[in-house]
Amino acid sequence: MSNRRAGANRIRGPHSALTDFLAANNISAAQIRDDYERRQREAERDRNAGEGSAHQEQKDSSDDEDAALAQAAAEEASKKAKKRKRGEKEVIEKIKKAKAAEKAKGSKKGKKKPKRGESDEEDDDDYDDALARNMYKKAKPPPGQFEHCEICSKRFTVTPYSKDGPDGGLVCTPCGKELTKEAKAEQRAATKKPVGRKRRKVESDRLDGLTHLGSKSLQQLCIEKVAQHHNQIDSLGDLPGSVYERLSQIFSKKRVMNPKTLPVFLRPDLDKIAIDDAAYLEVDDYKQIFAVVPHVEHIVLRNACQFKDEVVEYMLEKCDNIKHLQLYAANLVTNPMWQELFRQAGPRLETIQLQWLDAAFDDDTVQDIVEHCANLKRLKLKLCRRITEETVKLIPRLARLVHLSLQVSKHQEVGSESLVSLVTTNGPNLQTLSLEHFVDADDSVVDAIHYHCIQLKKLRISENDYITDAAYEALFTEWQNPPLIFVDFNSTRCLEENEPAQAIGLASKSFAALMNHSGSALKHLDIASCRHISKACFMEIFDGATQYPDLEYINISFCNSVETTIVAGIFKSCPALKQLVAFGCFDVTHVVVPRGIALIGMPTAQDAIEQYGMGIGVEEAIGRMVAVTG
Amino acid sequence: MAATSDYVTLVSSDDYHFVVQRSSACISPAVKRMLDPMNGFLEAKTNTVRFDTINAMVLEKVCEYFYYSEKNESARDVADLDFPTELCLELLMAADYLDI
Repeated sequence: MSNRRAGANRIRGPHSALTDFLAANNISAAQIRDDYERRQREAERDRNAGEGSAHQEQKDSSDDEDAALAQAAAEEASKKAKKRKRGEKEVIEKIKKAKAAEKAKGSKKGKKKPKRGESDEEDDDDYDDALARNMYKKAKPPPGQFEHCEICSKRFTVTPYSKDGPDGGLVCTPCGKELTKEAKAEQRAATKKPVGRKRRKVESDRLDGLTHLGSKSLQQLCIEKVAQHHNQIDSLGDLPGSVYERLSQIFSKKRVMNPKTLPVFLRPDLDKIAIDDAAYLEVDDYKQIFAVVPHVEHIVLRNACQFKDEVVEYMLEKCDNIKHLQLYAANLVTNPMWQELFRQAGPRLETIQLQWLDAAFDDDTVQDIVEHCANLKRLKLKLCRRITEETVKLIPRLARLVHLSLQVSKHQEVGSESLVSLVTTNGPNLQTLSLEHFVDADDSVVDAIHYHCIQLKKLRISENDYITDAAYEALFTEWQNPPLIFVDFNSTRCLEENEPAQAIGLASKSFAALMNHSGSALKHLDIASCRHISKACFMEIFDGATQYPDLEYINISFCNSVETTIVAGIFKSCPALKQLVAFGCFDVTHVVVPRGIALIGMPTAQDAIEQYGMGIGVEEAIGRMVAVTG
Repeated sequence: MAATSDYVTLVSSDDYHFVVQRSSACISPAVKRMLDPMNGFLEAKTNTVRFDTINAMVLEKVCEYFYYSEKNESARDVADLDFPTELCLELLMAADYLDI
């Protein structure tokens, strides 16, 4: 019975050759096992230290226990077959729970502590079996060892920073990075947008004049959603033209007006095509527009950089209904082509609006306009670099002109006489006159306006430091013209620092005369940089008693004499006010904005750059302001 | 001739009836005019408006918008109303018709 020894009733599995060898050489398997487990514990401790002590906090200890149990069970699986089978089922459930818990928390904090505790309990089990199984088991190697990545099976060195794979093993660094990226993406999808971006969007909407109080209109919400999913839209169906225009504005603003999204806006029965940013569109796209919508009457293409000669040809061929043409930045069209355009389409054209033309389009082209476009009612030529005084002399020949807007390049000198003759000839018909940046214009021009313009609704003379206050005053005194609706005299002031001997630009007397003449019907008032208007004048005009019932927009930027009481007066005098722009008015502080008014441009850091009136009425707002300023 | 009741009925093209408050429905100028007793329309007499061009799913969202809009009348920075993208174009057409 030499085979029987003490403890022989213990069932022993097959011994490997290694075990036999070790036993033969007096190397204790138990001791090896102890060493091994000690190394495990040390490795975990190191990893724990690497993560930082903060992770030691256990918020959901029960979940951690489950997770720990699951991990322990998974890695040092049960020794006996029965236990293993039961354990497997439990383990699978617990692994699922553990994965869910882990994903939510995203850290391995819970696992370590109890796992160490768990491993101590294994001491009671069969040593040999445990050792055999542990040696076969894929256990976590300590740092410094080589290990195969769970995901890509590549060999890599275990470090304290090695991430855990989905099945409990370790993954190599690149796979680990991917795992963290995925985890972060999930987190980001769950959290809200960063605060900064939202605030910018809100303020951008406000500056666009969209309603700040209350909710957006349903149309606006739908249009925004369409713009968001612009990739998936094929066609817009039977919506009215105004919706198309709104949508094209939003697409242009978001810079998604491109060859792919353009077909959405083309419908054969439209009579107006308006694209605010056609920068992405190429020659073929323009041709497509004219092919699909041949009966178009009104064309607005801004930033039409790729609008070339061949497009103009195609347009002339296909479309014979064009009445209103607005082309901004169409710099690739050559002079002969402009000529051809005006020659063929000229008689029909009622509106020509061209801006930003540097490469071509000079006085000869304007000559063609004047010759062929006899029916022209609306002309706008701004920022066309090659136009000179000759153009100004040619325009009087357009007898039917009703709306005129001119701005020549600052390098061109345009004398007053040409302007005077222009005003004299066209004046009686003009409803809009906009002369921007004519620095050499003098009092005679304004006199001419006084004598000849009797139907003006919109008047703009800006960026001029020559015309005197007296001339403007004479303009508005006893003027036959009915009250103006839109007035813009920005930057009419003396450019030198010291006060001039004679008041230049729109100053106190002329401003008073202006408000006297047009106050009853005025909607839009822009007197930015008219710094010669005195405080007394402002106080007198916006005294709270005189009412300006239609005034909706006022721009008093850089009028240094404006202060808080004047702003209060404006609020009181202008019941219909929607927007007050006051950049650079440093004496305006502590403004309480009444309901429905947007105040833009406050200088102090404490006040927001735009302030929107909340639910208070004008009276209360003024009362509060007076209380603050004393 | 029923007196102006607090609630009105909106009927979709596929015969779904939605009962909403009169004040909310009148956010739409079109509906308001239809329900105005002074104008003497049939809708005003029966307190019911039928929409033959708007189907039930869209009309439901429209009613939701009525309440959302009335609730947030004087609030600032209101969150946008959520709706499924598939509904978007039809909702836009309905919104344009109702002028809301």
